[in-house]
Amino acid sequence: MKTLLELLLNGILLGGVYALMACGLNLIFGVMRVINFAHGEFLTIGALATYSLCVTFKLPFWMALLVVPAVMAVLGYAMQVTLIARVINAPMIMSLLLTYALSTVLVNIGLYIYGGGFKGIPGLLTGSVQVMGVGLSEARLVAFGVALGVSLAVFAFLKKSLFGKAIRAVSQEPEIASISGISVERVRNATFALGAAMAGLAGVLIAPIYAADPQMGSRFLIKVFAVVVIGGMGSYGGAIAGALLLGVVEVLGGYAFGQMAGSAVVYLVMIAVLLVRPRGLFGVGVRA
Amino acid sequence: MKFRLALAAFAALAAAVVLFGNDYALTFTIQLFVFVVLAYAWNIIGGYTGYSHFGQMSFFGIGAYVGVLLMLHLKWHWLGAALAAGGAGLALAVPLGWIMLRLKGPFFAISLFGLTRVFEAVSFEWDALTGGGTGLYLPPINDQRMLYLALALLCLGMLMLTYWIDNSRFGLQLQAIRDDEGAAEALGIRTTRLKVTAFSLSAVPAAACGALFAAHLAFIDPPTAFAPVMEVTTIAMVLLGGLGTILGPAIGAVTFAVLNELLWSRFPDLYYGLVGLVVIACVLFMPRGIVSLLVRSRLIAPGRGAFRRIAARSGRAP
Repeated sequence: MKTLLELLLNGILLGGVYALMACGLNLIFGVMRVINFAHGEFLTIGALATYSLCVTFKLPFWMALLVVPAVMAVLGYAMQVTLIARVINAPMIMSLLLTYALSTVLVNIGLYIYGGGFKGIPGLLTGSVQVMGVGLSEARLVAFGVALGVSLAVFAFLKKSLFGKAIRAVSQEPEIASISGISVERVRNATFALGAAMAGLAGVLIAPIYAADPQMGSRFLIKVFAVVVIGGMGSYGGAIAGALLLGVVEVLGGYAFGQMAGSAVVYLVMIAVLLVRPRGLFGVGVRA
Repeated sequence: MKFRLALAAFAALAAAVVLFGNDYALTFTIQLFVFVVLAYAWNIIGGYTGYSHFGQMSFFGIGAYVGVLLMLHLKWHWLGAALAAGGAGLALAVPLGWIMLRLKGPFFAISLFGLTRVFEAVSFEWDALTGGGTGLYLPPINDQRMLYLALALLCLGMLMLTYWIDNSRFGLQLQAIRDDEGAAEALGIRTTRLKVTAFSLSAVPAAACGALFAAHLAFIDPPTAFAPVMEVTTIAMVLLGGLGTILGPAIGAVTFAVLNELLWSRFPDLYYGLVGLVVIACVLFMPRGIVSLLVRSRLIAPGRGAFRRIAARSGRAP
């Protein structure tokens, strides 16, 4: 019983980081109908940058929390303006292939700079907290709290602020948004920067939990893809719910069948959901 | 006429490599043929049917493992193993296609991409069967000319299959699905059945090709079997040549393979990153493909003429 509770709590904590990734991916898809295959590498950049800041330059962790997302936003903006913006209206295969190739390039830049080994950050958030008789690691609690907090803050921003409303308008009807005086281009650029910053933040948060390596991006991205397929693309709440659900499924599956099998179980769940509801559990039916 | 000329040129070149080429030329050509087959196979589902397929390496990898296991444990000949691998590809593609092809556009792409990574993870984990990260070794085939011939015939088969698709009712139906699936369905096209057929037609040669490639290397491990860079290279080849065209995949594969070989020999450390940059350049600067350039400069007759001939012959107006 105690093991089950421990697994459930750990799964939910893991889900927080997936939620942050899935929400960024969802926002980008919403305004541009572009799937960002390089989203996993944004997380890698965040994690490796945190390693450099905290270990090489010996800066405190909270600095990484602030600096890395800001840098990622700038980097994302630059990629958007130079590359992604040029394929938005092209057939879908163009943007898929472009971001896929971008991810290959980023992985190899990472390997060139950091080499292939795992980079852990020793002595950071190593304590644990007792919750309902279960020991939960501090690093995971911080990651979950910040990730879910930021995801919900972005959700509130989308609902309440004027710019958030502009983002939603562009997601729903770019043409009418444009007629209403919204600069579709500006919204798209800002959204991509926001999504990149969220993925970068996710990278910072997992750096104390898992040792970082240049090829970690796709390992996370496939689970985030499963989250958006299950949660339903285009549904922000669905992404958060799907992320928490999959976190639990992965931890339980990993406990039952071994670490690597966790991701296979995630995919079996995804296929089962697709059989019953092709648009995902909370999906609203998105024009592709 | 031009098509027959292309066939004859291909046969002559293929024969020349066996007769006059050295081992290096043979190896290069075998690997080129693997890419040509993969590109043609991808073109059926990605080019003609318009489904962005990012999971072709699933079939390639599973075919490779099926083939290697048969050759290793049951001592099968590579030809039989490749045929069995093709059968395994079919057995996987039909149920998988039936489930996955319900997904539209990007969802299809990301689910299959993820599935390939899962297959890779499973083959890493399942050491008892796959040898895990160490991989499986086969006794090498000393004379690879028969392997080369088999791959050359497979290329030829894919070229003819694509020619048939481009000139048949089946191909027109696939293109109707590509252009507007809802409208195609409203016109009475059995979209599910056709999509699964196209998916299987692209999976079987990929799986057989995986087994032949493993026999060529005499080795297989998870990163080779499910290589992400091969996936992206294959798709980029089709795009560079021309999506949904008869000659596009071959032209793209040859161009890209030569470029890759140059990059590999000059900058081995930066190779994968440079391949990525080449793909980005293809997407940004050559989205319509080389074939469209050739058509515009009137070196190739526009493909649509063939459709009109077919339609006129069978009394169906286009």
